[in-house]
Amino acid sequence: MRGARAARLAAEALAFLAALLAAPRAEALWHALFPEVARPTFQQDSWFLLLGWHLVLSLGAVGLAAVIGIPAGILATRPAGRRMRPLLDAIFSLAQGIPPVAAVALALPLLGFGAAPTLLALVLYAALPVLRATVSGLDSVPAGALEAARGLGFSPWQRLRDVELPLARPVLLVGMRLALTLSVATTAVGAVAGARCLGTPIVTGLANANPSYVLQGAIFTAWLALLLDRALGLLGAPSPEASSSPGSGGAQP
Amino acid sequence: MIRFEGVSHQYGTLEALRGVSFEVPAGALCVLLGESGSGKSTLLRTVNRLIEPTAGRVLLDGRDVAGIDPQALRRGIGYVIQSVGLFPHRSVAGNVATVPRLLGWDRARVEPRVNALLEMVGLDPGTYRDRRPATLSGGQAQRVGLARALAADPPVLLMDEPFSALDPGTRRGLQTALRRIHAETGKTILLVTHDLEEALVLADRIAVMAEGRLVAEGPPAEVLGPGAPEAVRRMVRTGALVLHRLAALPAAGAAENGPAPGSPGLPAGATLEDALLLMLAHGTDSVALEGAPPRHLTMTAILRASAP
Repeated sequence: MRGARAARLAAEALAFLAALLAAPRAEALWHALFPEVARPTFQQDSWFLLLGWHLVLSLGAVGLAAVIGIPAGILATRPAGRRMRPLLDAIFSLAQGIPPVAAVALALPLLGFGAAPTLLALVLYAALPVLRATVSGLDSVPAGALEAARGLGFSPWQRLRDVELPLARPVLLVGMRLALTLSVATTAVGAVAGARCLGTPIVTGLANANPSYVLQGAIFTAWLALLLDRALGLLGAPSPEASSSPGSGGAQP
Repeated sequence: MIRFEGVSHQYGTLEALRGVSFEVPAGALCVLLGESGSGKSTLLRTVNRLIEPTAGRVLLDGRDVAGIDPQALRRGIGYVIQSVGLFPHRSVAGNVATVPRLLGWDRARVEPRVNALLEMVGLDPGTYRDRRPATLSGGQAQRVGLARALAADPPVLLMDEPFSALDPGTRRGLQTALRRIHAETGKTILLVTHDLEEALVLADRIAVMAEGRLVAEGPPAEVLGPGAPEAVRRMVRTGALVLHRLAALPAAGAAENGPAPGSPGLPAGATLEDALLLMLAHGTDSVALEGAPPRHLTMTAILRASAP
């Protein structure tokens, strides 16, 4: 089952790379789609270079969002941090509420052009799903398992590492997946700040009234987002034995 | 040996425990009996410091538990709860090995221990070792819970309504297993229940709690005697307490020497309740105790024992 899904995904990834290779050579196709555009084929940059930068930006942003969001979610579910939960959620919601394109624009004077303002905007955008997934994953751990862990002599750290995080993992991965999909799709705005990525053809196309560039950038950005989403789904596919036990419900004596 | 000395606990303005003092002798199976909200679970949880008394102290083999590191204390005490709380991401063997692993036992010592424990609780290691908790029935899961509690061979076992969520047949099977394990291992067991029948099946001693106080404590027949507290009388149908008391008295104690030809046989170790039920079933007024020398038991003896 899983092997077959992995094989299909690998085949699709190859198709994606082949399409990247073919795009600058498909003059006839772009010309047929946009006959009014004089130079419909995007050739200013290597598509593979743009892909590489796109991945560095979006994966880096999700990594940073995880570094911020997971500890914040852990903090919000500890007895000592429970009171900070509404505050943390409000801060992260506010961060996500800033449109990434506005965040990029606002960060420009401080961080200059390029990757830095883009990363900042993406982290602000992706941290909320990571925080929420961490909190709901940790909240979903059966009360009985926690009570047993306490009663059997786990230290708070051992309880977190050996019981809570493994049981929260499936929910946490769903959140990471969402963050990554959002991030890959949103990285394109980095092109506004001059960061090279799959958004570059889109921004160039908009500036030069070239809808063919816009289409090419959009196709590859969306396709990449879908591919990575499914790849993470494959990694985090909840195995049947990870479902909850009938004997570990939250019943209290 | 567990000793409670004036243990009180207050949740905000609610007095959950009000100065409870008594002692569970080493090797006893003591049942903490009471209705919901009587404070019995709270009292149990003071032993492994899941709850700290606001006054009084709890001694374990003469040591105040307040002076023992909570994690070390808990690793040295078995703990079984109603919701079982098996770790769903670990196999049965992994669950049973929990405390030995926390204590840093090496694999060569853990593996045989896990197998021995599964056998002790009546689960075939070959069949169950690698199963996930989600594939177990409620009764099997609680057997694993019991094995997990016993894994590091703790001298004391705390059980918080361990069988209350199980159906009656499964519950009886686990009660029988627990009695056997208690007899084999000589653990000191403190078990919380609201079920008087369960208390009678299991207990060497019963401690009755009501409104945060200890209202009676002693051997079952004594606690259920004519002076039984209101909290106990409320648990059974009016007048039925006398029947329950018979279940706490061994038949051998009221038997007379000599054979009783033609009477049905009563197994050794049966209670007066068993004897009475046998008489009712056969319409006789005497039963013969199995074993040598020949002894028998009459209806008159049961009447004398039930209303001393």
